[in-house]
Amino acid sequence: MNDTSVSNEIYLSLQQLLYREARLLSAERYDDWLELLSDDIQYEMAMPQRRFKEQRSQANAPEKTPIFNDDKRSLLMRIDRFKTGFVWAENPANAIRHIISNVEVFKSSEPDLFNVYSIIEIHRSRLDGDRKRLTAGREDTWQNTALGYQLLKRTAILDDGVVLDSNMNFFF
Amino acid sequence: MDDIEALVDFKTGRQKRAIYSDPDIYQLELERIYGRCWLFLAHECQISKPGDFIRTFMGEDEVLVTRQKDNSIKAFLNTCTHRGNRLCKADHGNKKSFVCNYHGWSFGFDGKLNGVPLEAEAYYNKLDKSQFGLVEVAQLESYKGLIFATFDKSAPSLEEYLGEMKWYLDIWLDAMPEGTELIGTAMKVELPVNWKLPVENVSGDGYHLGWAHAGAMTVSSSSKLTDMEVGNTSVDNSAAISVAGLNGHAVLAALDGKSGYAFYPEPKLAEDYLDKNRQTVIDRLGNYRGKNMWGSQINLTVFPNLQMLPGLNWFRIYHPKGPGKLEMWTWAMVDKEMSDDLKSMVLNNVSRTFGPAGLFDNDDGDNLQAITEQSRGWRTKQMDVYTNMAIGGEHSREELPGVVSDGLVCEQNQRYVYRRWQEMMRANDWSEIPTYNSLDEARATEAD
Repeated sequence: MNDTSVSNEIYLSLQQLLYREARLLSAERYDDWLELLSDDIQYEMAMPQRRFKEQRSQANAPEKTPIFNDDKRSLLMRIDRFKTGFVWAENPANAIRHIISNVEVFKSSEPDLFNVYSIIEIHRSRLDGDRKRLTAGREDTWQNTALGYQLLKRTAILDDGVVLDSNMNFFF
Repeated sequence: MDDIEALVDFKTGRQKRAIYSDPDIYQLELERIYGRCWLFLAHECQISKPGDFIRTFMGEDEVLVTRQKDNSIKAFLNTCTHRGNRLCKADHGNKKSFVCNYHGWSFGFDGKLNGVPLEAEAYYNKLDKSQFGLVEVAQLESYKGLIFATFDKSAPSLEEYLGEMKWYLDIWLDAMPEGTELIGTAMKVELPVNWKLPVENVSGDGYHLGWAHAGAMTVSSSSKLTDMEVGNTSVDNSAAISVAGLNGHAVLAALDGKSGYAFYPEPKLAEDYLDKNRQTVIDRLGNYRGKNMWGSQINLTVFPNLQMLPGLNWFRIYHPKGPGKLEMWTWAMVDKEMSDDLKSMVLNNVSRTFGPAGLFDNDDGDNLQAITEQSRGWRTKQMDVYTNMAIGGEHSREELPGVVSDGLVCEQNQRYVYRRWQEMMRANDWSEIPTYNSLDEARATEAD
């Protein structure tokens, strides 16, 4: 990414937007969340692998397996599943917090596109005392459109090589 | 510990809940099941070149599976023979040797101890290095690309262990001339679940599909699997079979030749592939498997912990981590002949249906966790659980090996999986473990 800094105004707008997005996701306000997403959204997270540092860039490394590799349509499919009322694991709801930090905003080579780095920490309170915590880095591309800023691409990098929750009925 | 005989009743389809929580039972499972059975290690494609290795587990034992210079395969316990440190912490890679991080003992890729720092100064050159090589598994064999090993020297050959299950495995492993490959790397999830619960679920539980997965089925189905309706309001049990009595292995199969791709939102690419290659598969596997089974939704279970679903194209093992914990590793497996576009579609669909954020998989975890937890309470664990559906439906069919019952909604397979579990748990060694691949053999070897 091209690390050219932006004005405070743009920085604050996008930082506020990430916080708002986190609040919408924590509240399961998925229709409102969808309005923040470009119709061309690419939403990706791959399964991490533990490899020796000297072998990480090996040309013949195995293809990464996606955990999420979604476009608008498949994100809608995930959301439609929640809306069926048949996702028993989420009823009663599992309280969830999306905590965003380390926000950095940079210009890109396109005037309407901004590169945004952040870290997300997800806390989920499951049944009784069961609490889950997941962290990921995020590299976003946000687009300034007539409708406001929209998320064009998100690549989330999960930190755990073994996923420590029995489902990911949520978004990063 | 309860008497093994009281834990499972095959005839009436009953299990004691203690088998999902009792630590003594779990320790005996590590010895008598994971210490004895042929366990899946890796697909040959994962270690294709000399020096390639993959780190995996046999029960709770950590193992390095390696491709040797002469292209043979060896598997070692991933532990230094000096003070017991873990040798290798990477999931996979390519190495010439393994050097322990603790004191620098160096093991050749063939497992021999080659280098010991300060060997002259501190060991006075008296250390017999030949006695301190890495510990190998007792037997290692491959079946059509899948590498298995056992810790038990007296275990029957892999061929014999798999028995007639090979006939069903070939529907995927040997359908196309070039065979199969795994694509991508393992999707790993830790679940607070006893290892037997996902195994029994996939072995035969078509009953939960229309209910537990109602949300996922609603949004992702492009066609109906055996006319199963969301909410379990109807099913056509004549359109599918449950097969067990195969030395503990099990098969759940639709017979339409296409429903494997029912849970792909746009299956056209896959359907074209099936149409194009159907005749090839009929020529290789015969009419019954080629027409009715290749392309169908099929669940294949290799006892104790390997499962694969052609069509949905996932390939999965469960590693036990205690009576109430497991790690589930899932890959996408494809025919090598598939186009890159189709492979990519399969990889995405495996992830989207049965990955860590999978539409279907995300329905199962909480149910299986809850069953595990509901086997712990002092009063609750004295209760039984039941797999008593369709008792008396077992029959044999000339065209099919094993014991057959009608339908995906049927608990025959779970009963046979628990029967095998009990046979392994009660036996003192392999000579006491029966072999059966048909209804007659299964009846003849049934315990009193």
